[in-house]
Amino acid sequence: MTNQPNLPPAFADLAPFLDWALPTADERQQRRLAATSEGLRAFYDAVLPRLEDILSALDEYPLGALPEELRPLYGIALSLAEVAPHIELYGGAVGVPYAFEEGRFIAVHGGQPTWQGLQPMGFQ
Amino acid sequence: MNAEHRWLEAYPELGSGPISTEPYISPDWYAKEKEKIFRKVWLCVGRANELPKAGDYKVKRLEAADTSVIVMRGKDGQIRAFHNACAHRGNTVVTEHGQETYGRSKAAVVTCRFHGWVYGADGALKSVPSEDRFYACFDKQKNGLAPIHLESWEGFLFVNVAEQPENSLAEFLGDYAEHFRGFPFDELDYGFTYRTELECNWKVAHDAFAEAYHVDTIHAGSFPNVFSTGLQNVKLMGPHRTCAVCLTLDAKPTPVAGVANRIAGASLVSLRGESMLPPLINPDRRSDFAFELSVIFPNTLLHISEGIWFTHQFWPIAHNRTLWEGRYYVKAPQTNAQRWAIEHAMTLQRNAWLEDTATMEDTQRAMQSRAKSIQHLQDDEILIRHGAIVVEQFVNA
Ligand code: FES
Ligand SMILES: [Fe+2]
Repeated sequence: MTNQPNLPPAFADLAPFLDWALPTADERQQRRLAATSEGLRAFYDAVLPRLEDILSALDEYPLGALPEELRPLYGIALSLAEVAPHIELYGGAVGVPYAFEEGRFIAVHGGQPTWQGLQPMGFQ
Repeated sequence: MNAEHRWLEAYPELGSGPISTEPYISPDWYAKEKEKIFRKVWLCVGRANELPKAGDYKVKRLEAADTSVIVMRGKDGQIRAFHNACAHRGNTVVTEHGQETYGRSKAAVVTCRFHGWVYGADGALKSVPSEDRFYACFDKQKNGLAPIHLESWEGFLFVNVAEQPENSLAEFLGDYAEHFRGFPFDELDYGFTYRTELECNWKVAHDAFAEAYHVDTIHAGSFPNVFSTGLQNVKLMGPHRTCAVCLTLDAKPTPVAGVANRIAGASLVSLRGESMLPPLINPDRRSDFAFELSVIFPNTLLHISEGIWFTHQFWPIAHNRTLWEGRYYVKAPQTNAQRWAIEHAMTLQRNAWLEDTATMEDTQRAMQSRAKSIQHLQDDEILIRHGAIVVEQFVNA
């Protein structure tokens, strides 16, 4: 580990959830699948009340130009997008209930750092 | 008129009897589909804006047509298609990384990795290392890449591998082209692609997506309380088909969905205006219209909605094996918050697709048991009935 991810002082309360500060969709999905129901709920409950503030802080910068110190915060917000359906719709289940095997579904954009705002399809 | 059977009354020629499961499980039937359908008709292989610059290319495997196609933009701006097969000893010219390979060549050439033969974007053989060691019978002019017919419609690129296609793309699409004309496909160009290989026949996959009867059960998790009021405006156009899917979208959004919908209406389950829909789509401007569900025969499903469009493609690999590709397009985000909201919509859509694909391999296994030799379709499953009948017509032609 070279750069320990960190959060801006205004969001220091989210420090216990820094392990959700992941740059790519694949990593966030893996993290969700490796979580427990309780872990998902704790994360959701902590981040949801801060969501609007987080998005405003991120929107001080243009898409693709997010400074490095804000990228972990963006990763946390994106993890909430990944986790929310599991709390809001699936009763806390870590996987999608009655679904195809997630591991066999390939997301072409899955390895892109999301903050860069690249075309997700695979061509540049 | 019996409202429960209105599509039968509108299209009595399709009949109402059960549909055989044999075409879903028979290797012989699949061999005929390859010959009579996939090697004969126009197949959608991408969009022109995937190849923005001269020298950009895309290689797509078409197992059902026994080939792999290079689609490339030349220095003259033209996009052309070729078989990915070298005139020297038959190697694939562009080395593929899976089902779809994108590449870029400043010089607008592709080079075979085996012995270095170079081809231009017009298909001509440009350079052969140690050319003078070949014999007099070898004519460089006659050994370009083998061309494949390519035509486009609304930015979609279609290929036809037949020596001489039976019709032009415009003739093939017929009324379908008019129905969708004018939707801003190119403005909504931020596309997410998911893919997987399914252990099922391509028609099992098609059928699972070609009705809304399953929404209340299969999507009870991801799209709860979007009470389906069924299909509207079913229209059969030659081998193609379309309809409107109407859902009651008045459920209160969940907290995170509420935030995301406000920032970017990128999710199918959020109410949106109808500013960009062409006049033939949802002609009565029903307020419960959710999206148009259509099929470009044989293997492309195209859906459009306000601010969103998406496709499913089913590429047969064997009689019981299919590559599925789902692509979901929205307007490119301008801000970090919009990109976040799109991520949320996409995650929800991925989950819905995980629910959709969940049944397909089970369906195939059960059909292969031959415990049941027919399937029963209700009136709102008319797109499936039409699909089965069209396939049969082509195979028996
Ligand atoms: S097979 Fe392509 S150069 Fe030899
Ligand atoms: Fe579905």
